[in-house]
Amino acid sequence: MRGVLRKILHETLLGMVLFSLALLLVEVLLNLVLPQILDQMDEMIARMPFMREFVAALLGIDIEGEITAQLMQAFVWVHPTVLTLLWANEVMFCTRFPAGEIDRGTIDVLLALPLSRRRIYLCETIVFLLGGMMMLGAGAIGYAIGSQSLPVESRPAWILVAMILVNLFSLYVSIGGVAFLVSSLSDRRGRAVFAIFAIIVASFLINFLAQFWAPAEPFAFLSVVEYYQPANIIRNGTLPTRDIGVLLGVGSIAWIAGREIVARRSVCTT
Amino acid sequence: MAILETRKLGKRYGAKVGVEDVDLEIDAGTIFGFLGPNGAGKTTAIRLLLGFLRPTAGDARILGMDCWRQSHRIKRDVGYLAGDVRLYPWLTVNNALSIFSGAHGRDLRAAGLSLAERFALDPEKPVRKMSRGMRQKLGLILALAHDSKLIVLDEPTSGLDPLMQLSLADLLRERAAAGSTVFFSSHTLSEVEQLCDRVAIVRAGRIVTNEPLDDMRRRARRRVEIRFSSEAAAAAAVPPDRLEIIEREGDRWHAELSGEAGDLTSWLAGRPVRDFTIGPPDLETIFHAFYRRRRHTA
Repeated sequence: MRGVLRKILHETLLGMVLFSLALLLVEVLLNLVLPQILDQMDEMIARMPFMREFVAALLGIDIEGEITAQLMQAFVWVHPTVLTLLWANEVMFCTRFPAGEIDRGTIDVLLALPLSRRRIYLCETIVFLLGGMMMLGAGAIGYAIGSQSLPVESRPAWILVAMILVNLFSLYVSIGGVAFLVSSLSDRRGRAVFAIFAIIVASFLINFLAQFWAPAEPFAFLSVVEYYQPANIIRNGTLPTRDIGVLLGVGSIAWIAGREIVARRSVCTT
Repeated sequence: MAILETRKLGKRYGAKVGVEDVDLEIDAGTIFGFLGPNGAGKTTAIRLLLGFLRPTAGDARILGMDCWRQSHRIKRDVGYLAGDVRLYPWLTVNNALSIFSGAHGRDLRAAGLSLAERFALDPEKPVRKMSRGMRQKLGLILALAHDSKLIVLDEPTSGLDPLMQLSLADLLRERAAAGSTVFFSSHTLSEVEQLCDRVAIVRAGRIVTNEPLDDMRRRARRRVEIRFSSEAAAAAAVPPDRLEIIEREGDRWHAELSGEAGDLTSWLAGRPVRDFTIGPPDLETIFHAFYRRRRHTA
């Protein structure tokens, strides 16, 4: 397995480091601009009451007039830039094997090695999970640096930040599992990337619409974003074990299905 | 003992036949030629042997192991070069050997670098800067570095210059002499003729012949040219049974001989012949005959 792990790292490390640095930078910047947003928030909501709904939809909770400075810290973990960076990295990563390898014809080299397809899939997953940890670690460092500009009472306790990171990592795992599954069904990387983005956008949209539009509400449970709510963690101070369980469950089931498909499918490069 | 064995091996893509009823048995130490034109099913058969494709009929075994279910175990003892070799752009001989060593669990660098030297390939040059021939050489190094019991090469000479083709042929003979089995696919008869002990010809996904090359040579026709002492002598002579006259041109016959040349020389001894040439067995005619049959059946 060492050889394949080395090969995967060789191909992905630079990208993961760049994505991690980008996430670190985004967290610093979001924390720096957050006080200004907070200053204007009350005024904006007074002038435009629908803004409350938008903020609630973004944070994933009903805020009912209790927008505290600490609660707004959830904003830096649900900001679309943060999620886009994270998801872009995993979509690019998870479509490498087998879709990307088949697409460029290099899978013959990989499958000629004395390793089962399940092992190769596992190697990809190990590096994928380590990459996720690296990205979230970089995000946490960025958060720690950026939040220094905030008053101490505005900062949530680090234990809460750690809980948010656990929840975010489980979201990363669930999207990754689905992305591996889509990749395992595809021979073309472009198609796999498109399909996964479509799933993510649909998931995001369902979650967002469910806040405003009653007919979308019954389908909110289908969105993975429904199970990632940092504002709730800050408000309740508890680890959302049910949400984490759902996310890890979805990710694991999709991952296992993808692994079995990879192991049993024929691989054609022409 | 057969190192590679297939029974009624088949692969269909819906209604389309990839290969059908492929029966092969290849003994250790053999250089086996798998011959056929493009699209005949050679690569499909090879991909079935390597466990890349799941058979829709029959089974294949290498070293007694099932090619689909135990594919990864088989690859410890199989070196493989793909037909259209595609490698990672960043790959060099050195880092490829490092990755392969890790995957095989033993150090392949010395063996691989010695092959790189033999093929005159710079170990530090990345694939993105390599010509097609260089990429082919790197593919060959990766297929041959781990001293496997079976070497499966899908059109290995494509992109190689004639000197490198000879060098590869020598290398494969050495490997066969050392006990490795070589499974060598090609659409060029001359390559197979130079190198192989046994040959199978594949046509439209089916094996149409599978025999030792010597047997095939015995069956192959030889081109013969006979120059008689005069036009009259040429006109009067009656050819023996196994000599088919293709063209009469003055005092000359252009003909094809089936069977041994010795019988013809005895016949010539009693005739007014000024000169004659008997060519080597021409496998091309056999090869073409199989394909003519295909066109007829089509």
